[in-house]
Amino acid sequence: MSDPQLTPGPLAGLRILELADETGQFCGKLLGDLGADVLKIEPPGGEPNRRVGPFLDDNPHPDRSLSFWYYNTSKRGVTLNLETADGRQLFRRLAATSDVILETFRPGFLASLGLDYQSLRAQNPGLIMCALTPFGQTGPWRGYLSSDLLHMAAGGEMASSGYDEADVPNAPPIAPGGGNAWHTGCHFAYMAIMAALVHRTVAGQGQYIDASIHEACALTTEAAIANYIYRGEVLRRQTGRHHAANPTPRTQFRAKDGTYVCALVGGRLNSKYVGELADLLDTNGMAGDLKDPKYQDPAVIAANTSHIIDDLVANFIGSLPAEEVYHAAQSRGFTWAAVRAPEALFEDPHLHDRGFWKEVGHPELGRSFVYPGEVAIYNASPWRISKRAPLIGEHNTEIFCDELGLSRSELCVLAESRVI
Amino acid sequence: MSRLRALENVRVVDFSWVRAGPWATRWLGALGAEIIKIEWPENERGRLPSTTTPQNLEVNLNTSGNFNDTNVNKKSLSLNVRTSKGLEIAKRLIAVSDLVIENFSSRVLKNWGLGYDELRKIKSDIVYVSMSGYGHTGRHHHYTTFGPVAQAASGLTYISGLPDKPPAGWGWSYMDDTGGMYGAMCALTGLYHRNMTGQGQHIDLSQMVSSVPLNGPALLDCSVNGRGSRRAGYPPGNRAHWPGTPLVNNYRGPTVAPHNAYRTHPGEYNDWCAIVCHSDKEWRRLVRVMGTPPWATSPKFETVGGRLQHQQELDDKIEAWSTTLGKYELTERCQAGGVRALPVQSAEDRVERDPQLRHREMYLEMEHPALGLHKVQNAPFKLSETPASNHLPSPLIGQHTREIVEGLLGYSLEELRAGFADGTLWPIKRARLGYMEEMLR
Repeated sequence: MSDPQLTPGPLAGLRILELADETGQFCGKLLGDLGADVLKIEPPGGEPNRRVGPFLDDNPHPDRSLSFWYYNTSKRGVTLNLETADGRQLFRRLAATSDVILETFRPGFLASLGLDYQSLRAQNPGLIMCALTPFGQTGPWRGYLSSDLLHMAAGGEMASSGYDEADVPNAPPIAPGGGNAWHTGCHFAYMAIMAALVHRTVAGQGQYIDASIHEACALTTEAAIANYIYRGEVLRRQTGRHHAANPTPRTQFRAKDGTYVCALVGGRLNSKYVGELADLLDTNGMAGDLKDPKYQDPAVIAANTSHIIDDLVANFIGSLPAEEVYHAAQSRGFTWAAVRAPEALFEDPHLHDRGFWKEVGHPELGRSFVYPGEVAIYNASPWRISKRAPLIGEHNTEIFCDELGLSRSELCVLAESRVI
Repeated sequence: MSRLRALENVRVVDFSWVRAGPWATRWLGALGAEIIKIEWPENERGRLPSTTTPQNLEVNLNTSGNFNDTNVNKKSLSLNVRTSKGLEIAKRLIAVSDLVIENFSSRVLKNWGLGYDELRKIKSDIVYVSMSGYGHTGRHHHYTTFGPVAQAASGLTYISGLPDKPPAGWGWSYMDDTGGMYGAMCALTGLYHRNMTGQGQHIDLSQMVSSVPLNGPALLDCSVNGRGSRRAGYPPGNRAHWPGTPLVNNYRGPTVAPHNAYRTHPGEYNDWCAIVCHSDKEWRRLVRVMGTPPWATSPKFETVGGRLQHQQELDDKIEAWSTTLGKYELTERCQAGGVRALPVQSAEDRVERDPQLRHREMYLEMEHPALGLHKVQNAPFKLSETPASNHLPSPLIGQHTREIVEGLLGYSLEELRAGFADGTLWPIKRARLGYMEEMLR
């Protein structure tokens, strides 16, 4: 452990073949950042999601998509046309020595090419294959088209998120952004792959995994399902806070700088909390009547809930910038936070202390850029970005010539016939 | 038929509470690990307060519906770890376990004398996953989170909402669900590494930090292009782009129209359907599904540029059509015509009306001794050889105390009784539950 740059990650030694579009690339990134050798196999010309922006300097090019960059760190990249006989033969050779295949094709596509799990496994009994698809391999919706927004609709995320009528009359349900349907599917796919890998360390055998993004999203709305199953409740959307069967006090307040603070107060108001709240508000001379001994009485607190939250807490937060409220509150034990835009995180000293931000070199540009790094610190086997996303076909010679033994002239022929 | 389980013979000491930690161990349990949940009724958080107890039952430690769904596949040991005798029992349990997992604030286990350096003395190859709000290192390690706070501090709340309105945020603790995912992912990764190398480790996970990379492309747009997310038209609600604002990618996929949620018949609270066209070809399919109305063939809607430029008019016209159909009928018509569409579904819709989730057996019934027969959520993946399954209902508090203390750790029945009498295994002043009296006979 002397040099963390040399210590292998926890998944060192694993070879992953990734045949994944925007729905599954994050799973491959997680495997790669944790030390696996992830080989991304793209169609000749590159994955279509290389065309998703934003782009470096707003100059669109398949090697300049920041979305593609982000989701494909720590991978090597080759191009291969599986719809040719030569492409399939090369793929089989790679599959024979790989540990995991992650694929996101529509159900039945690989089998139609003769690349189904059973035939690949015949030459490699330890092989694990994970098919991550919008709806799984079976069922009436298996052939349906989807998108991130559609999954947030059908998975229940939208039914839970939105606005109080007073804030935005007639508001639609809101799908949180950022591509989190794909993230959610990838988290569960990663878990399933790791379970199969742990099992293989004991049993020696691989297996097939049929993972569904729709199911993953449908599982990811906390107690909404339990509220229905146990109480028959359908929950209402509320601005910036939990869905609820009946309206709950607001938790999002506008700060002096025009941004917001998330302050969880409702449901916590006992006499001890009110005393501590009075001290916090008093730091800016905003305690109002909160130091009055009458607030030792729970009945008085209950009768004044709206006064405490909508007047005193709201006015206190409105008197200070959001970041100041955040740190003043947290340092006194209040579970509150500033509602930050993503770019504010670059200034967060706590993330710097944890070594979260990573410089990732882009040698072809002669530049390096700051990327978000590890969410967990592994003290014996680091999580780390090993390299930037591959350029199109960047590792074709490394894999097809150096590893599989093709000659350069054979490689040229394959390129000319659009096999690679 | 009894099947192999992926985590057969893996034992987990689970100190976790509330939601994120228990959601992690729920899945390790479904994959076959033996989960021993250590609880103490005096400072229990997860069973109470309960807002999911059925209306016909008394709210108590054993009747939270959400606790049941979050804690299937586990055993419960009631144990006061803050006593020396309780700590000794915890240590004996750790000595015969593979994984320790907890989601307390950052110094709790260390203060109990169960920091990683101590844990590895008890079991040299132990895998220890801590799931605190801000992690165990860094200047704000003592800050605390619930899901909404991690979401706010990390930038996740901000990216949900309509432009020029307050953030709508996430209507639930997304980062308790997703934080739980990361807990389980770290545990599995640590176990794999241990099986391959013989080496355990401490994995210091942070709920707040794990939220940040979920904004990856937005963060790169800032670190690479210098563009922040506090800008006109962002976040663009359910659209890929907000009309009248600069054309900039919104980090959800391609910038296209239509891309929105539309009202459907009969216009109740959750009668909405999301429709997206990723290309001109998909738009022409939607035009056909709508019956080729004259407005839709106007040249201004022919190209993605035109549809983005006239997006408000486009959305209004689509909605005039969508409100004539129910959301499931609309979905079926669109999908049959090759158009991306799915209904907004409430929990009731998912459990009762979603034909795909029904086909995949997402919700299967399970008997719980206090709650009765109810549906429980299943895994979203099917492993061919070692399927995940819900095989135990959530434990009653302390239900397995004897099985673990006597059966697994080898204490005598007299010692068990003494532990109940002296406040190690149940609070002295709290009435014992019926099954505990049974257990002590």
